[in-house]
Amino acid sequence: MEGALSVLLLPFTVSVAFVLIHAYFGVHVLRRNIVFADLALAQLSALGASVAFANGYAPASPAGFGYALLFTAIGAALLTLSRGVTRFVSREAFVGILYVVATAATILVVDRSPQGAEHVKRILIGSILTVEPADLAKFVALYAAIGLLHWVLRRPLLSVSSESRPEGRSALAVSAWDFVFFLSFGVVVTSSVTTAGVLLVFSFLIVPAVIGAIFSRQLLVVLLVAWSVGILSSAAGLAGSYVLDLPTGAAMVAAFGLSLVIAGLVKALIFTDAGQRYANWRMAACAIAASALVLVLLSSLWLIINPTADQPLAAVFERATGLGPAHFLGERDRDTYESATRDMVRFQGEVDRLNSQEKAARYQGAPLPDDEIRRIASYQQSFSEMTRGEQFVQEVLRGKARSRERWTVGLPAIVVAILGLGLLARSLRRNRST
Amino acid sequence: MLGLVLAAGAAIMTAAPVAAALRVVATTTDMAALVAVVGGDLVEVETIVPPATDPEAFEPRPSDLDRVRHASLLVRVGLGYDFWLDALINQVGDKRLMRGGEGYLDASTGLPLLEIRGQSVVNEGGHAHGVANPHYWLDPANAVIVTAGIAEALFRVAPAERNRIFANREHFLAELAARRQRWSAMLAPFAGVKLIAYHNSWPYFARRFRLDVIDFIEPKPGVAPSPAHVAHLIGEGREAKVRAIVHEPYEPEDASRLLAQKLGVPFVRLATSVGSLPQTRDYLALLEFNVATLARALSERSP
Repeated sequence: MEGALSVLLLPFTVSVAFVLIHAYFGVHVLRRNIVFADLALAQLSALGASVAFANGYAPASPAGFGYALLFTAIGAALLTLSRGVTRFVSREAFVGILYVVATAATILVVDRSPQGAEHVKRILIGSILTVEPADLAKFVALYAAIGLLHWVLRRPLLSVSSESRPEGRSALAVSAWDFVFFLSFGVVVTSSVTTAGVLLVFSFLIVPAVIGAIFSRQLLVVLLVAWSVGILSSAAGLAGSYVLDLPTGAAMVAAFGLSLVIAGLVKALIFTDAGQRYANWRMAACAIAASALVLVLLSSLWLIINPTADQPLAAVFERATGLGPAHFLGERDRDTYESATRDMVRFQGEVDRLNSQEKAARYQGAPLPDDEIRRIASYQQSFSEMTRGEQFVQEVLRGKARSRERWTVGLPAIVVAILGLGLLARSLRRNRST
Repeated sequence: MLGLVLAAGAAIMTAAPVAAALRVVATTTDMAALVAVVGGDLVEVETIVPPATDPEAFEPRPSDLDRVRHASLLVRVGLGYDFWLDALINQVGDKRLMRGGEGYLDASTGLPLLEIRGQSVVNEGGHAHGVANPHYWLDPANAVIVTAGIAEALFRVAPAERNRIFANREHFLAELAARRQRWSAMLAPFAGVKLIAYHNSWPYFARRFRLDVIDFIEPKPGVAPSPAHVAHLIGEGREAKVRAIVHEPYEPEDASRLLAQKLGVPFVRLATSVGSLPQTRDYLALLEFNVATLARALSERSP
């Protein structure tokens, strides 16, 4: 537990800082209906950082930051212009084009510099796990400054975000406020993308704001919901990443996605008026039952049509009940299947033993001569091939077992599924007529 | 005027041997460096993967097709490491450059390979290291076998130059033998030292210099380490008394630096290939750099 805390505390604190500022910007972005603007801005700032990198400046140096900021400002100006585009097409199209062109340009720039691939990878995935205390201080200072700016300028900024043609403001003033918004947004995203990566920053930005919008239209309530959901999701993602041994960024994005699903269910099943709530519960139950029955029906049909193909539901069923393929085979086949399982374990054990023997000899005792290494290698090769052979035997026998299962399991399952669906349809129809 | 004529003459003189040279295309800088020592001025070596790029994540471009097409000899690392070369060879469609042709050399042939997985290239857990661990050039003893293969392949495509090729290789082997003694002596005091590496790039180097790489920060290339793995590494590193974190030049540094800081041990950047760091211009310089850097880092911390 102590190990977990020492590794996760700093990433969590940084996530909280990210959630506080990003969820706020997310509310703006949703009101403006330009969800992918953050990706475009982040990518332009990444392009700036890459240009700096190609010119020999470290990403964290003042010159590196200067380049990133310059390109972000260009992006902010382009996004400001996008208000004019809405006369012809949706703004999202313009934002999308900006994003892909900036991404392609980044690839072209880094292609000419060593370690470019690493740079691109970092921007996409980030490394929130390895964030440093100095970074946290920087983020807090920067976000406090931008938060203060937005507090002072909240009236004009909110009105240009919420209305497509704000009344009582000249076109020039609207553009100026747009630019202020996009530039501050760009600075926030630039700072966070190098740490959290594009995917996670998008989640920080959009998911809490969407959940907030599900529950309320009032800015303060939306923000409070978004902040708490964001912080909870970050904690859940980090904990899940630790417990299940998963890459942190991806696990956090998945946790944000899951929290959106839960929020949707909570809204539909709990936070609605009583009559609607009952109907929703009923609909949810029917939907679950119907999808389960359809799944069984389709899987059984698939089992009958092509028993030797991948059968995901049958595999889940076998694992859950312990009724493996061996139960559906004749005595001789069953023996072969079981001995293949045993041999696979044995051969793999031999490979592992040889591996660890060779590894230990690298630094302990007398070094192994080259010919001994070659001998071990040829044994390892043979055992690996034999393991693969046993795997093949198992696959063939599993196919055979499934061919039998299709009549003893598949056919009854189809009948049950069709009956169940019929009952469900009848009860729905009766409910509608009453 | 005279100067111009002389300059033109000089240009022709220097251009002449290049035109006559054998064009050898190597997939990586390491193979190119070993071809260069054996071929000397008989060959003009070109590399497909630029230095400090991960060859396993490399994407060939149109100019590479041209390079392969005009090659007299192709030299590859093999073992699935530069698997994309097969597609290039097939596209060029020259029998001479295909597996078994006289202009094709898989440099891994005949080496004592480590961490064998099987005969066929399989993609296990996103890891393209199919047949065996491919970083064999990091053991200087393997350079003896690899240069033998290169010399034999050069004999095939340029039989008339047999003596020069032979002499070049002998010269290289003499220098290598002298340095190997020195390298072994430099790392001898650290035999059995425990290290943690970013990737599994060092089994051959570890075997030769008797080091124990106990674990890796990124066991699956391209998948960032999970917090549980980092916590595990911290515990394991403390318990085993790990003495340094070894890092490859083209990988993100954050996790390695974090671990080095938590364990209070040096962060050592070693080069996995020729040209991936400025100090590693050729093959001998690559090993010289790795041995010297590691020896220095380890002696700083030794009591």
